[in-house]
Amino acid sequence: MTRRLFAPLTLLLVLVFLIGPFLIIVAASFSAGDTLAFPPQGLSFKWILKVFTVESFRDSFVMSMFLAIGGTFAALIMGIPASYAMSRYRLPFSETVRTVVSAPIIVPGIIVGLALLRYFVVPIGVPITLALFLAHTALVLPYAVRVVSASLNNLRPDIEEAAVLLGSSRLGAFFRVVLPNIRGGILSAFILGFVTSFNQVPVSLFLSGPGVRTLPIDMLGYMEIVFDPSIAALSSLLAFLSIGIVFAAERFLGFSRYV
Amino acid sequence: MTKMLLISTTALMLTAGFAQAQDKTLTISVYAFAQDDFKAIVYDPFEALCGCTLVVETGNSVERLAKIEANKASPVIDMAVVSMADALSAARSGLIEKIDTSKLTSFDKLYDIAKDPNGDGMSVGYTFYATSIVYRTDKMTIDSWADLLKPEYAGHVAFPNVTTNQGPPALYMLGQALGKDTPDLKGAIEAVGAAKDDIVTFYVKSSQLVQLMQQEEIWAAPIGRFSWAPFTKLDLPLGWATPKEGQTGGMNVMVLTKGSKNHDLALQFMDFWLSTEIQTKLAEKLIDSPANKDVQVSDAVAADITYGEDTARSLKLIPSAIALDNRDGWLSEWNARVGQ
Amino acid sequence: MFQNRTEALALALPAAIFAALVFLVPVILLLSEGFRVADSWTFSAYADFFAQPLNRTVFLRTLKLGALVTLVAAIIGYAAAYAIVSLPAGTKGRMIGLVVLPLMISPVARTYAWIVILGRTGIVNHALMAVGLSDAPIRILFSETAVFIGLLQLFLPLMIISLVSALENLPKDVVPAARVLGANWLQVFWKIILPLTREGLVVGGTLVFTGSMTAYITPAILGGSKVLMLETLMYQQVTVANNFVAASVIAFILVVMSFAANILLKRIATARNRS
Repeated sequence: MTRRLFAPLTLLLVLVFLIGPFLIIVAASFSAGDTLAFPPQGLSFKWILKVFTVESFRDSFVMSMFLAIGGTFAALIMGIPASYAMSRYRLPFSETVRTVVSAPIIVPGIIVGLALLRYFVVPIGVPITLALFLAHTALVLPYAVRVVSASLNNLRPDIEEAAVLLGSSRLGAFFRVVLPNIRGGILSAFILGFVTSFNQVPVSLFLSGPGVRTLPIDMLGYMEIVFDPSIAALSSLLAFLSIGIVFAAERFLGFSRYV
Repeated sequence: MTKMLLISTTALMLTAGFAQAQDKTLTISVYAFAQDDFKAIVYDPFEALCGCTLVVETGNSVERLAKIEANKASPVIDMAVVSMADALSAARSGLIEKIDTSKLTSFDKLYDIAKDPNGDGMSVGYTFYATSIVYRTDKMTIDSWADLLKPEYAGHVAFPNVTTNQGPPALYMLGQALGKDTPDLKGAIEAVGAAKDDIVTFYVKSSQLVQLMQQEEIWAAPIGRFSWAPFTKLDLPLGWATPKEGQTGGMNVMVLTKGSKNHDLALQFMDFWLSTEIQTKLAEKLIDSPANKDVQVSDAVAADITYGEDTARSLKLIPSAIALDNRDGWLSEWNARVGQ
Repeated sequence: MFQNRTEALALALPAAIFAALVFLVPVILLLSEGFRVADSWTFSAYADFFAQPLNRTVFLRTLKLGALVTLVAAIIGYAAAYAIVSLPAGTKGRMIGLVVLPLMISPVARTYAWIVILGRTGIVNHALMAVGLSDAPIRILFSETAVFIGLLQLFLPLMIISLVSALENLPKDVVPAARVLGANWLQVFWKIILPLTREGLVVGGTLVFTGSMTAYITPAILGGSKVLMLETLMYQQVTVANNFVAASVIAFILVVMSFAANILLKRIATARNRS
């Protein structure tokens, strides 16, 4: 009997450990006090409202959205053809291509950020925004290739071969037969890439300039100056945004099948 | 879906592009604290006055200086505010230029010590501050800097890291209290190293201390007077120590980046910041103590800032050259004794 | 399988060239900096780096915390994953959802919460005192313990998910069969579960280990300058000391460790496929 209880009890404790901190952050967002504390001192919406009045949060939110949407989009535009080539063609140096494309996942982000600062931003004068965009695209590329490849491999290649035999062009077959069938995989890759890029810290650590900062870096910076619950409020809002997106994707598209 | 993404991405790119397309832009590099207040008191009014856009980079003095150094070839920053020692370091590395003080209408109103703190004409002080110890008056008494290391307060004290602006001055005073006041700070660093397990944290950002104080994680920490205001809002018996060795402190200065294309605008901005009106407003909000001697504040405000030339003179400051020449030594000594 | 090589290259090259130019070239240049001192190729920067006791401490601490987090995550992960796998399908899906949930939340926020929880007046200390495990609040923040807890919470979901998928592939009746034949739980784990789920453990372990080694926010916020790890030390070298050679040395160490973990993973996985 005790054995039978052991595993569920562990699971319960694990969930408390994993989710508890998040609940505390949510609770602290509604605090009326001036510092982060649990249990919160009183109830108010002032910190939630304050989030929207901090100008740097608005700017960095736009920046992070731009990087997450634009970077993931760019990664997909390059990643989908690459995945297609790797799964449907006899691609020369196939392994090398795969390694190069998925390398950014292995190398710690802080190194990528520093490398871009040292060799792109400083000597060539690449604007920080562009460097961030390139870094985030490179970061998301491995995820895009992995998820899209997985859904391509689940799709029988003879369908498009049949379409080609029936007179469709290769390109036409791709757009009319393949793309509609891997739509779910592409969307999954997009969401995975979006969340990864949006929450990314180490890559962006060195890539900040006057007026240019991603939201997580801005939050870190804000925390270093003021320790009020507005960071908790912002974190909760962002978490609900992420959860909402993932939940909607799961609900309508069965996102988890592809990850 | 795809179309929607395309449109939103393009829209975002366009807005990002437009934001950078302003013709008259001044890029400044400042300390990260109290930016909401600085925006209301300094940045917004100046933007309205000059019809230009201010781009603000924030961070601590050392980090920002490292960035200016990295971008030496094509400067991004036009004007920066840094510590006195960092200004001298920047001057020695050829990162900053002489300031044409004849273009600063408020220059004559500055206290003498702020006019040319490093004696090289490359910086102008805009605020100075006392550094002493904030402490829980119900838990402890602080009569000397050495009291921080008393065994009964073990586990209740935070100390500034040697890399911060408050670190060396605090060590300097600790050295005086211990009777080992050499410029290499060896005695003080050794004492801190011996007690390192009893020190809660070697802080890098003083803002964090407010949270730690509120959580009763710490009872005392050496801080600069400019970070005192948030502590007064806590519902705790907190005091500002007046140790018998005196208070130390520092001065923050304005510098002009070498090779900046906006010198005149930068000078105009500096003059605006040094003006009696702006310095008064910053003092009344307890943000920066004035370097402008025409500033008049109420007694209540004066008690919470570092006010008046006499006060400024009484602070035991480490001369910039000594700070600079010993910095590497302090860091390696610190890393050897305290760091690990 | 299409045979046209030109077409294949045209499709794959943009991504490969992009990754090579934006990623590989600058990273390799950065890593080479540590081997170039005064315009000649040398290991002297590495010798200098490891000559300093502080750097050795930080290096060993990073390894130690990485290994410890991985070990504890594996132990907790098996128990949690086993519990999840035994649940009915619907509940199982929801549980996996809850385990994955923290991954959707900004690590900044997740780490931030621990400052409140682990503080002297925080929940953990209240609980310790309430059950009589401690008389006075103990100091947890700014210690290796705090960093350990933060890292474990950050990366445990990755381990659980890897182990769940490994355990799902375990034939349903092996465990009951072994039990009927008289094996105790420990024997079942060592002789049956572990060998059959090795791949999942290695995948999870690599993710947790490299994640812990290369985390920045957690050691920065929960450890501070008292508990430096390689990543925070590297940041300090760049921003405070302006020492890019030392930063490159640290970068190289981090990359080598990430690759080593990755290669280990691949070797173990293929070794199993062959057998």
